[in-house]
Amino acid sequence: MRRLITAAAFAVATIAHAENFALRGVTIHPISAAEMPNAVLVVTGDRIADFGPKAAIPKGHKVIEAKGLHIYPGMIDSASVLGLSEIGSVRETQDIAELGDFNPQLRTMVAVNPGSEHIPVSRANGITSSVVVPAGGFIGGQASIMHLDGWTWEEMTVSPSAAMQMRLPSQEATVTGRGLGTGRRPFAEVKRRYEEQMQQVRLFFEQARAYQARKANPVLGFKPELRLEAMIPVLEGKTPLMIVAAKERAIRDALAFAEREKVKLVLAGVREVDPFLEEIARKKIPVILPDLYQVPLEEDASIDEPLDLPAKLANAGIQFAFGSYNIERPRNLPFQAANAVGNGLSHDAAMKALTLGAAEIWGIADRLGSIDKGKFADFILTDGDPLEPKTQIRQMWILGKPVSLENRHTKLYEQYKKRL
Amino acid sequence: MLPSGNIVLRNGLIEAVGESVPIPAEAFVVEGAGLQVYPGLIDALSTWGLPTGPVRPAAAPAPGPTPATPAVLEQRIQTLDDGGPEERPSNTSWVRAADLLDPRLPAIAAARNAGYTTAIGFPGTNVFAGQGSAYNIAGTRARQMVIEDGVGQMITLPVRGFGGGFPGSLMGIISYVRQIYADADHYKASQALYAKDPRGLPRPPYDRALDGVIASPRLLLPAGRLVEIDRMIRFGQELKQPLVLYGGAESFRGAALLAAVKVPILINLRWPEAERDADPFVKDPLRVLETRDLAPSGPAALAKAGVKFAFYSGGVERPADLRKAIKKAVDAGLSKEVALKALTLYPAQIFGLDNRVGSLEAGKIANLTVIDGDLFDDRAKVKFTIIDGVKYEPAPEATPESNR
Amino acid sequence: MNRRLFLSTLAFAPALPAAGETILIKNAKILTVTKGRIDGSLLIRDGKIAEIGATVMAPAGAVTVDAAGGFLMPGIVDCHAHVGADAINEGTISVSSMVRIEDVLAPDDIQIYRGLAAGVTTSNVLHGSANTIGGQCSVVKMRWGKTATQMVFAGAKPGIKFALGENVKRAGGGTNFSATLRYPATRMGVEDVVREAFNDARAYQRQRDEYQTRLAKGERVLPPRRDFKLEPLVEVLEGKRLVHAHCYRSDEILMLLRAAEEFGFKIRTLQHGLEAYKVAKEIAKHGAGVSTFSDSWSYKLEAYDAIPYNAALCMKAGVLTSLNTDAPVTQQRHLLQDAAKTQRYGQLTDDEALSLVTINPAKQLMIEDRVGSLEVGKDADIVLTDKHPLSLYAKVQKVFVDGEVYFDREQDIRERSLRSARRKALSEKLKPAPPPAQKKGAR
Repeated sequence: MRRLITAAAFAVATIAHAENFALRGVTIHPISAAEMPNAVLVVTGDRIADFGPKAAIPKGHKVIEAKGLHIYPGMIDSASVLGLSEIGSVRETQDIAELGDFNPQLRTMVAVNPGSEHIPVSRANGITSSVVVPAGGFIGGQASIMHLDGWTWEEMTVSPSAAMQMRLPSQEATVTGRGLGTGRRPFAEVKRRYEEQMQQVRLFFEQARAYQARKANPVLGFKPELRLEAMIPVLEGKTPLMIVAAKERAIRDALAFAEREKVKLVLAGVREVDPFLEEIARKKIPVILPDLYQVPLEEDASIDEPLDLPAKLANAGIQFAFGSYNIERPRNLPFQAANAVGNGLSHDAAMKALTLGAAEIWGIADRLGSIDKGKFADFILTDGDPLEPKTQIRQMWILGKPVSLENRHTKLYEQYKKRL
Repeated sequence: MLPSGNIVLRNGLIEAVGESVPIPAEAFVVEGAGLQVYPGLIDALSTWGLPTGPVRPAAAPAPGPTPATPAVLEQRIQTLDDGGPEERPSNTSWVRAADLLDPRLPAIAAARNAGYTTAIGFPGTNVFAGQGSAYNIAGTRARQMVIEDGVGQMITLPVRGFGGGFPGSLMGIISYVRQIYADADHYKASQALYAKDPRGLPRPPYDRALDGVIASPRLLLPAGRLVEIDRMIRFGQELKQPLVLYGGAESFRGAALLAAVKVPILINLRWPEAERDADPFVKDPLRVLETRDLAPSGPAALAKAGVKFAFYSGGVERPADLRKAIKKAVDAGLSKEVALKALTLYPAQIFGLDNRVGSLEAGKIANLTVIDGDLFDDRAKVKFTIIDGVKYEPAPEATPESNR
Repeated sequence: MNRRLFLSTLAFAPALPAAGETILIKNAKILTVTKGRIDGSLLIRDGKIAEIGATVMAPAGAVTVDAAGGFLMPGIVDCHAHVGADAINEGTISVSSMVRIEDVLAPDDIQIYRGLAAGVTTSNVLHGSANTIGGQCSVVKMRWGKTATQMVFAGAKPGIKFALGENVKRAGGGTNFSATLRYPATRMGVEDVVREAFNDARAYQRQRDEYQTRLAKGERVLPPRRDFKLEPLVEVLEGKRLVHAHCYRSDEILMLLRAAEEFGFKIRTLQHGLEAYKVAKEIAKHGAGVSTFSDSWSYKLEAYDAIPYNAALCMKAGVLTSLNTDAPVTQQRHLLQDAAKTQRYGQLTDDEALSLVTINPAKQLMIEDRVGSLEVGKDADIVLTDKHPLSLYAKVQKVFVDGEVYFDREQDIRERSLRSARRKALSEKLKPAPPPAQKKGAR
């Protein structure tokens, strides 16, 4: 069996280290409900046991006074390469994109380096979980949801397979090479290639369906095929296809493809989404925002693009979450959310998209995303609004365990401060 | 314009033009009733009759000695002595179009069929591309065709990026051109001092790249966008060279700038248009669309501002299409009178040839374009051209394939 | 010349004060950066700041702009950008000091407008980092719609770009995109290129001096050839040209300081200087400034020890410090946000954080008598925001350059639909004609 390892098994692993405690005098921002000033938060084991202005602190719980400080759920990065990439320009440190066009059997969790310097750096700004997404070919593999704490990737894994990453063949005739400027291929050639590749993609899905049928009624000598086996949860609608599509044509293709293959869709990295707002809302397709630190898509685009995208989605009634994509970005997720607020999104909606909204999209809202009884004790303690740079994150807990906010940068800072 | 008149040609020159000029008894008479006679059309920046492509490959900077390295690698290593302007790369300033002219090339007949009699041809694609020559596009020997061998030095901007040696960028090319002109000044001064009395002075080295620059009576700089028109006007002024710009896609925006400094511009008749086989989904920016829309109105704007300009064949592949392209400028507000001048008298004036070609005047070279209607009417056909007094009927054009 | 010369031919009718008008901005929280906060009004006359105070009387004929309780701050200065130029790198040779950004300024680059819309009013437009000694840079005011000449910050001291480390040795490292391997391939070689170049420059300087001496003596002597590669380096030696050096690691920073000291010149700014915090003492002693990123790191090996506390640490060490964008590498629209991040990483005060993108870069470019703070007599380069500019929720509302409104958010929003309608109409009009359809029934 390929899915012996369950999420619950990972969670249990870290409980032993957690100490029961309660935070007192804090303003709790549960996300699922209105904020509660001067409240108590009780953590037993790896879970939130109770919270509220009058929550009782059970015996044996250590009491932490945190008057005037704020509690928010830990933030979720909905599209990252955390642990798969260390140094951008060094090929040997990249484990994001495998060779080959169809690799649904790949799972990111097994390649997440728990020792990556990027993990504590991301934590420092309030990220407690990350959906680690592969890339490469048309189907890059399965995205795993990881806690940003743990000795091993097993301990870190929240969900081994949250989505199947996919990128449909492209019809872009303009290609920008690294450092080599922009080149343009004849469109007729691009189109021909695109049609061929689309044919391959459809064929792969047909093969997967045929395999699904074979497996349901196996004949003697039936041999499991790992690549096709991995597609079954997608075909069954259990695991969403996470299709990355920025431009209008790519988004149209993604919507059509999901419709045709009757699979669950999560759209990621969208930019030119205006023509599809109604359709996406109607079909209740969740959207993972692109890296918002990008220049406007074209010369004539609004000076606010894509910072105004979250507000646009919110106004259309579309559920969305933030993603970092780039290895440098995770710690900037709250700041990107603040940019969204500066461009018309409500603060509540921004906070929700960073926490509960993301958990809902990934089907883990029963455990993560808000301050609610019974949920994982993943939260941060701040001296103010976590989206504003002026605010300091004071402490973080993951699965009820205090997690250090120290990282490569704070250590170098402390080290060299002494040399001044 | 004379509604009806006679032109007398003798020995390849125009002898007389007028309403009632007597026809000499010995003359061979060409009946022109119902035909329109124009001065021979001039292509102000041409490659007709010239081999296309680079004249000769740019000299690569010489690799410096690196004794400890294997020979193969040595070839690839650019040392501290890394070339730069003094190596004179991408420079064939001494080459003249006249010396490359090949009357057999098919473009010549095609251009004649389209009503042209004269071209100002420029060689090559180097930064210092070489010197333009004015020539008539009929004849069997280049030396008989040439009107003037050196009319100006053309600069092109072959931006090659990192791989091809200095200069690889637009600003590299500009600073390279600047250095060459400074070197030319230095060369002239050194030679003058040396010529006075060589004793006690180092001998100035022979430098044909500088000789070519010094020999050129004017400088042609490329400028399409308004930004480039502004930039190249300033650069030409800095170099203190008589300046002609070429390109002019955004001359509808740059007319005032050009008028202020009295710099003439050659207008490429290949108007900017959407790329062929472009991705239908790529939406061009408004800036680009406006340029495309308004480029043909540039000549009218130039005429209004009093800027001297001339048309050139540029990227128009078939000479037969040139009249269609000119008509676009007329449709966009250019008067037919000025349009005709931009094909005849103005290019002649810009290149200092107007005492020989560009108008129907006694004493000028007998170059005539004869059409069975109005030059700017699509339906009118070129009946014949007269070049150096010789009549050429439109001949069937050789297909490009047969000439490869 | 019409200020919209370079822009769309669309005729917009801005209801904004015109150039040269006297303008009173009232009801504002004025963040001077150098002289604290003043709640009141600011008067612009002849393109300069004429008065700042709690109450300023509007002179007759002045246009009044109501800031509606918003914030005024000095126009942002970006000490390192690659905007508004048609070329960035002359990457073919290791010493390309002859090339000039000023030759290729492109005032029609949309990035200028975008930067302006984020409050950037001055940019140091630098040559790229492909070679050890790069090209001459150009300090510009973001006068969108003006000509290249009008964009140039008149009176700003000229500068030149140097670069060290991975970018410049890459072409020698075998993974280059050209067939030629270019010296240097190591940081040792980079030092050598710098020293050789200044050795050449000194020789050239001597040659020129000698010519003058001999000429003065009445000798018959050929003038030396003008060398546009070495002239700017001689200017560096003579202190007439500022050196802005792209660098990352502490070793190469120290190397460059020492090489400069050997030849008797100063490095004006260490650009990026991501490990500057490790040698902040030495940098302060040399007198160089540091112009760094806020939080970029790990995109290459030499950026692995980059820390977002760099600016705070350098400042603490007494180094003149600024934040830059390297736009389009990072964006000018995030430069204020970059400044704000120093409040998380290093807990800088508001004035300290704002100084990183205003008065400090102005000092680094030696234009602080003109821009960088809101003080009487300085250029009226002013940004109006609706909230405190260090809050990420703030939006730039208006930007003045020399007292002229160059960006107005309301106008920008109004023009969006006009522009897209015009674009649509034009692309319809210019659509290539479809191939002629076959007549029905034709044989």
